[in-house]
Amino acid sequence: MFIFRLWRIAVRDLGRNRRRSALTLIAVMMGLALVITLHGFEMGAIQGSIQNNIRVQTGHVQVRGESYDEDKVSLKWEDLLEDPLALAAQAQTLAEVRAAAPVLWAGGILVTVEESVGVRVFGIDPPSEMAAPYREGLVAGEFLAPDDRGGVLIGQRLAKSLGLTVGDDVSLLINTSGEQPDEATFRIRGLYDTGIPGFDEATIFLPLAKAQAFTRVGERASAVVVLLHDQEDADTVAAALGAPGLDVMTWRDLNQLMVEGMNAAMGFLYMIYLIVLAVVAVVVANTLLMSVFERTREMGILASLGMKGRQIMAMFLMESATLGAIGVFLGVLLGSLGVYYLATEGLYLGDMSASVASADIAYGETMYAAFQWSDTAVLAVVCWIIMLLASLYPAWFATRKEPIDALRAL
Amino acid sequence: MIVIELQDATRVYKIGEMETHALRGVNLTIEDGEFTALVGPSGSGKTTALQLMGCLDRPTSGRVLLQGEDVTKLSANKRADLRRGTIGFVFQFFALIPGLSAYENIELPLLLSGANGKQRKARVAELLEAVGLSERAKHRPDQMSGGEQQRVAVARALATEPILILADEPTANLDTENGRQVMEIMLRLNEETGTTFVCATHDPRVIPFARRVVELRDGKVADDKQYEGDTR
Ligand SMILES: Nc1ncnc2c1ncn2[C@@H]1O[C@H](COP(=O)(O)OP(=O)(O)OP(=O)(O)O)[C@@H](O)[C@H]1O
Ligand SMILES: [Mg+2]
Repeated sequence: MFIFRLWRIAVRDLGRNRRRSALTLIAVMMGLALVITLHGFEMGAIQGSIQNNIRVQTGHVQVRGESYDEDKVSLKWEDLLEDPLALAAQAQTLAEVRAAAPVLWAGGILVTVEESVGVRVFGIDPPSEMAAPYREGLVAGEFLAPDDRGGVLIGQRLAKSLGLTVGDDVSLLINTSGEQPDEATFRIRGLYDTGIPGFDEATIFLPLAKAQAFTRVGERASAVVVLLHDQEDADTVAAALGAPGLDVMTWRDLNQLMVEGMNAAMGFLYMIYLIVLAVVAVVVANTLLMSVFERTREMGILASLGMKGRQIMAMFLMESATLGAIGVFLGVLLGSLGVYYLATEGLYLGDMSASVASADIAYGETMYAAFQWSDTAVLAVVCWIIMLLASLYPAWFATRKEPIDALRAL
Repeated sequence: MIVIELQDATRVYKIGEMETHALRGVNLTIEDGEFTALVGPSGSGKTTALQLMGCLDRPTSGRVLLQGEDVTKLSANKRADLRRGTIGFVFQFFALIPGLSAYENIELPLLLSGANGKQRKARVAELLEAVGLSERAKHRPDQMSGGEQQRVAVARALATEPILILADEPTANLDTENGRQVMEIMLRLNEETGTTFVCATHDPRVIPFARRVVELRDGKVADDKQYEGDTR
């Protein structure tokens, strides 16, 4: 095979210039490893946030009234579910379903002597499994009892920033199904911490019964939140729960906006990928160009042996293709190692996470990377192709010299 | 039979505004099986003439005929095809590919001309034997002496059994003994295989080897002498 022979000449030359080859290898390897690690981190952050959001906020499947408007946090009777308990019971008969419970959402303002902050009031069924993340996240005081009429649960972060603690009384202004919000004083029963600063800072809990009474919605609820054994069953369950007048959504629908938001927020990462790969391309092109200059006479010799310009070009391309392939392989190894480390150890962001988080984006305090074969393969191939493109110019340059001029070169 | 012919060939090199008339109308006919020495002072146009004969370059005016066929106007790729298998070169510098062993260097033109593995192996072994370097097959150029490298280069030039070998000062970088050895090998191969040799040189030691001596001066043929038999 002629092409194989060309390749052999090319490979031998790589061995001849060990230092330069090593430099190129390191550039490709580090560049790709960095990109893979960053990407793994980004994917992990997104997936982690989705799981966080499912856990504390959306569940796997939600059933809502057809006219319910999430943005307005509507409490109008016609927007709410008429008989949420029946719906929850119906959901629980399905084999795929782990738990289902009603929830009532209302907008509110928490007023202390010094300041007032906007909060989201969640009316939850305290013993239900839906409330487990909050129950397990309890860090002080006690959890809510279903028949508690004057207690709330607030996030530790919120409490800290407002200088509140267990046993303190706070004034809550909560929207109702009527025109005007109502105000009442509640006692803080406990503080919770879900590990998702954006959520904890903006969410307070009331027992469902109290929330329903306060907002004057009767037995109604904003939604029935369903948890599944396996999130891949969401579509099946959603289909089973569908009924006229109801809007059934899966975790995919419910998190779509968040994922889009996160993608936008992480758009700068793509810039970094591009810059890193561009730097790698420059290093590769430069190395190969140096090699072309150094081997001018060699190309003259090959030309005298009857080698054509395009064969010489092919030889140089093969040289960088080989170097690129090795570099890409090492880069995938190193990058995967980086992702593995960040996937198991995670990166503790703590308050930094809080500063970039909002109630809509459920960044955890510790972010974990996620490894994806398909994305890694795409990045590896892209990196390799960029290397090949970067070596086109030097390879073309090599064929530009006339054989007689190449032979005169030293 | 005429192997290569230059007809009123001129070659003008242009570097910016500067023009160098390297050849000013050279008429030269090389017959099959000849061993010709191309002599003349430095700058007289020897290398240029060889490059025209070897289809590495094209004349500014005039014609180049390879086995009676006009190759003057052929494209670079066509000329590369011609060189492969028809013409072999030996240069003053030991023009081996640095990364490849002696064996692989000799194999290279065979690869380019598409010989199969068995043919290549037999031919390379034969050539290594012919230049007395069977022991050096695995050595890379930097592991061989200049004389050895030049002998490998001669073997490589002969690999595809070309009809014409063009040697440009093959002994210039060699000491007397090695130079003589290389010349003797070339002469022997000329006799044994009938391959035509043109050897540019200003090394007086080489002249006695030649059957014909063509002298260039200022880009023109100044003298052309034939000798009968071995003049050594
Ligand atoms: N590629 C080139 N570009 C410009 N000028 C050249 C080129 N090649 C040769 N020349 C000029 O053409 C003239 C003839 O050169 P050539 O190399 O043919 O001479 P030569 O007889 O081989 O000399 P030498 O014995 O020193 O090798 C010289 O004046 C040289 O400087
Ligand atoms: Mg010369």
